[in-house]
Amino acid sequence: MSVTSLQKDRRGRARPPRFGSIPRKAGDLILSDFFVLYLSLAYFLVLVPFLPTLTNPANLSNLLSNMWPLLVVAVGQTFVLTVGGIDLSQGAVIGLTSAIAGALLATAGSANVLSNAPIWGVLIGEEGGALNGVPGAVWLGIAAMLLAGALVGLLNGVSVAYLNMPPFMVTLVGLIAIGAFAIWLTQSENIRPLPEAFIKLGKGDIVSLYLGPQDEPRIPRRQVYSFVTWPMLLAISIAVAAHLLLSRTVFGRYVNAVGANRKTAEISGVPVRRVIVTVFVISALCAAAGSILYSARLEAGRPTLGEGAFLLDVIGAVVIGGTSLFGGRGKIIWTVFGVFFFVLLSNTLNLMNLSAFVIDMVKGAVILAAAILNVLRTRLIQERTA
Amino acid sequence: MKRTSRLKAALLGATVALGGLAGGAQAATICFAFQDLETEFWVAGHQAITSTLEERGHTVIERNANEDANRQFEQVRDCIAQGVDGIIIIPQDGESAVTIVQEAQDNDVPIAVFNRPPSDLSRGIVVVADNATIAEQAVDFLVEEALADAPEGEKLQPLIVVGDLGDPNAVGRKDGFYNAIEKQADRFETPIEVASEWDAATALANLEAAVTANPDIDLVFTSSDFLFPTIRSVFEPRGMWVPRGEEGHVIMGGLDGDATACQLIKDGYVDATGVQDLYFEAEASLDAILSAIEDGEYAPNEVIEDPGFALTSENMAEREMDMWGCVLLSEGFLDQ
Amino acid sequence: MSTLLRLDNLSRDFFGIPAVRSVTLEVPQGAVLGLVGENGAGKSTLMNMIGGVLPPSSGRLFWRGAPYAPRDAVDAAEAGIAFIHQELNLFHNLTIAENLFIDGFPKRFGLIDRRAIAARAGELLADLELDATPNTLIEELSPGERQLVEIAKALHREAELIIFDEPTTSLTPRETKRLFDVIARLKTSGKTVVFISHVLGDVAEHCDHLAVLRDGQLVAKGPIADFPVPEMIRAMIGRELSGLFPDRTSIPQAEIVFAAEGLGQSGVVENVSFEVRAGEILGLFGLMGSGRSELARILFGLDPHETGTATLAGARLTGGPGRRIAQGMAFVTENRREEGLMMEAPVAENLALVTIDRFGRLPAATVDRAAMREATEKMRDKVQLKAADIASQPAKSLSGGNQQKVVIGKWLMAGPRFFILDEPTRGVDVGAKYEIYALADRLAAEGGAVLFISSEIEELMGVCDRIMVMNRGEIVGKFAERPFSDEAILAAAFREVAA
Repeated sequence: MSVTSLQKDRRGRARPPRFGSIPRKAGDLILSDFFVLYLSLAYFLVLVPFLPTLTNPANLSNLLSNMWPLLVVAVGQTFVLTVGGIDLSQGAVIGLTSAIAGALLATAGSANVLSNAPIWGVLIGEEGGALNGVPGAVWLGIAAMLLAGALVGLLNGVSVAYLNMPPFMVTLVGLIAIGAFAIWLTQSENIRPLPEAFIKLGKGDIVSLYLGPQDEPRIPRRQVYSFVTWPMLLAISIAVAAHLLLSRTVFGRYVNAVGANRKTAEISGVPVRRVIVTVFVISALCAAAGSILYSARLEAGRPTLGEGAFLLDVIGAVVIGGTSLFGGRGKIIWTVFGVFFFVLLSNTLNLMNLSAFVIDMVKGAVILAAAILNVLRTRLIQERTA
Repeated sequence: MKRTSRLKAALLGATVALGGLAGGAQAATICFAFQDLETEFWVAGHQAITSTLEERGHTVIERNANEDANRQFEQVRDCIAQGVDGIIIIPQDGESAVTIVQEAQDNDVPIAVFNRPPSDLSRGIVVVADNATIAEQAVDFLVEEALADAPEGEKLQPLIVVGDLGDPNAVGRKDGFYNAIEKQADRFETPIEVASEWDAATALANLEAAVTANPDIDLVFTSSDFLFPTIRSVFEPRGMWVPRGEEGHVIMGGLDGDATACQLIKDGYVDATGVQDLYFEAEASLDAILSAIEDGEYAPNEVIEDPGFALTSENMAEREMDMWGCVLLSEGFLDQ
Repeated sequence: MSTLLRLDNLSRDFFGIPAVRSVTLEVPQGAVLGLVGENGAGKSTLMNMIGGVLPPSSGRLFWRGAPYAPRDAVDAAEAGIAFIHQELNLFHNLTIAENLFIDGFPKRFGLIDRRAIAARAGELLADLELDATPNTLIEELSPGERQLVEIAKALHREAELIIFDEPTTSLTPRETKRLFDVIARLKTSGKTVVFISHVLGDVAEHCDHLAVLRDGQLVAKGPIADFPVPEMIRAMIGRELSGLFPDRTSIPQAEIVFAAEGLGQSGVVENVSFEVRAGEILGLFGLMGSGRSELARILFGLDPHETGTATLAGARLTGGPGRRIAQGMAFVTENRREEGLMMEAPVAENLALVTIDRFGRLPAATVDRAAMREATEKMRDKVQLKAADIASQPAKSLSGGNQQKVVIGKWLMAGPRFFILDEPTRGVDVGAKYEIYALADRLAAEGGAVLFISSEIEELMGVCDRIMVMNRGEIVGKFAERPFSDEAILAAAFREVAA
């Protein structure tokens, strides 16, 4: 059965693959909400015999901890993709809010490094960030990060909803301009040190596991594994809240309706513009929340955080999960599995000890395969409902 | 791929000599996490480390972070989970290096930071190139050359192209330049400073303006070799781009030691360039990490300074192959 | 007469529900076969199997006596089958010639041979008497002309069998006549035509044979002479239809539900005033471009107006659709695909869209899914929707008539007082039309007011209590007394256009 190869007809024209002969049960599996999870687990199980370290508790603990920040950001992107948009500015929001966290929360400042930066002497000085020493500083700093994120989201949303600008352009401008603004703020310098209470949010353990012998006089630290961590709690709460919001509430129905058919939604009384603005604000808030996790775990405010290929990881994970790039079809649970798949993929490729040159090629190939499976899903759905 | 495989062969030749130094260490698994391979310098550094390790029979696990500090952090943790014996990183920047060093040491894995120093030098094995010393060595040679030809009593006009002064490297290089000039302060006018912000276009505009205002320049030092083509495009139309030994030669030097600089020294246009001794740095970080592993030391802390050296028109013959740019050049790097 | 295509026991299921059941049928060569049936009777599914779009669940096809199993539309086209869909399959940004040759440009010296293209395209257009140069862009053509281009494409690919699916829906009367001329000429040149239409008069006049589908089964076939229109209807719906229109069950009351007073927007509508009473169906007739749909959009708050007011039950209407829906308005637009439905979304989601906020429970406006399921299932029964599983079946899987019932149903969920129906029966079969008229009547009988916009004068005369006529953005005539005179109405509609 040639499922994925392009067949040629008599005149030599390529034609799309046909899936008509896929058995019904296989089709049901592919269309299941849990398909990407099954796929990830199958991939995991296939690799276990070849990569013994894969099931090593330390590795599993890493796998999970790599998942949380990406998940938080991807959840926001899921909303925007579902409404039929795209948010390219998430990475820039992460950089901007990280720089803000550094500027406000740093417990010390170095004139050597920062004296050229416009924030020097305004938000941060020798004695640290503006909030250093203020009671509840961490929470105020986080509030400032979320506020900055929300403002960017508001700007994006208003431009898309009220000025009718295409989301791709609006957020591309955001990506460039806000990214540059963040770098200008600190003149590309990273700001540290950050307070312990903040850093704990990025890597703090709540429950750790030690699986070795009990009578060891000194427990080797590399055998103590993070199990329940602050990022885990944060990410899971955000994902659960987002899942309920998108699938169970009136607002979630609005998001799906606007993505499915904006005109129909408008005529049916859906407050289309408000929904679009809200969705972009959610996306930017999630980016800011992700920025908390990323900044905290790197223990610095970094204006360049979230630059480069990071955005492709986010959008890639969401789309591989099954959310449609064309809007109207998105679920948080799909995104959870998509992110899991992505993180698992990176992790296993690392464990294979391939040369750095090969890893990106293999990664590209696996993502391509996942994309083909996604096309297969779409076609199956169409075939069953045509 | 072709370029790197040929390069690797050449570097193997260059590093065989190192092989004997740390003999005796048992085979270890070393995780080598680098930030990217975007510039030729990092390609050379990467090859210097991997080939040296493999040559000594150790297993190398490579991780490319694609200039993403977070990814590097995750990759180092993956390495730790895999149970490597030691880690060498070329970090994305000094701040993330601190976090990563701490993560490794918290998990009892010795770690060395190669070439780009963490902002906190107190933890981990840190190999740093001292920009000021290297620059000073190169400018010392330039000063010597310039004064040799100059009539007694005449003051010479030096010029420095400075980098982005937000970058500690640029500051160190500028300091080294002034240290060397000030040794002969009575023989030099106040140096002309040309800002480049590490940007060729900015450097071009500012240099044009400076040379137009002061056409009689005797000595030029650029804080990075990558600006030589820019200097050439300003100097050549004015008849100031002349090889050594000919009338009108401007004494010229730089820092980095890339392939272009190597070629220009050979052609006589450039007199000296300060070079980070990449092969020394690779060797030193490897030795330190391997001996820590052997001693069962989990969190070795040590600062290893790379004094670097100046590759000049005089010592070219004997030290050419210690300079990474010349190694690349001998591989036909510039022909491609 | 030989058989070009034979269908042998062809069946197809969706979601376990048979859409086509054991259809055996011969398509005779060189003749026009009429295919009629209510929406949802299985016509489209049957044609999709012939066109290679869907594989049959069981049964076989024979093309010129040999087994024929198209894997996709390309296969079908190569065999010689062309499909002229309701939604034409043309690239609007390309020229006529480019559209004709899109799947294989003649080349000269490796470049597209524009001269050869123009010559061949010119020939085809002349054959079809389409008065346009091959370099005209499709977007500059009228719907009827576009259809001719589609036919030219079929002829260019030497199609033997050309299937027309509801070809006259978007055509003017003149264009319709020209289409039938073309079909007659196709027949004389030996081509075979399958003609699918809800306009039974056209079928009776222009077809040689007839096949009638009902509930996926072939219930009647034979020479057209055996099927006068009432006989066709009887075969289609399986019972006698007492008339084309249901009897009105209510009469207008005194209470004025909706009133427009001097509404105006320059260039669109001018000084429009009218009122609709409880229990009344007010018809609005106008030709294309008369401003009737534009007026509807203004009434619903989708477009602005400069002068005048609109009131519902005495309260002034303001704001956008959301506010007006809350005040008791509903609007079935003329374009259900683009403005009425979320085609990919399940039927139940579509039904609940307008009233979804009413299923929200505090504190976070969580949707009460049980209540929603109950309400949507009730609505399915109320509008007599033919859909098995409204929770998972997407709207696009329904036939046109059932899709329209979903649109009406979603508005009924809100219990509106004033209903605007804009061309509610476009592309809908006889039986479903009757049901839609009955729904309009029930709306009125329950005390609502209905504005029924249509370009089919017969249906307005059949269901409305009063009819007003719009022309160039103005109300130019109001007809209050039954029986209406279609001549007077048409005269009003054409008056100023002719002047």
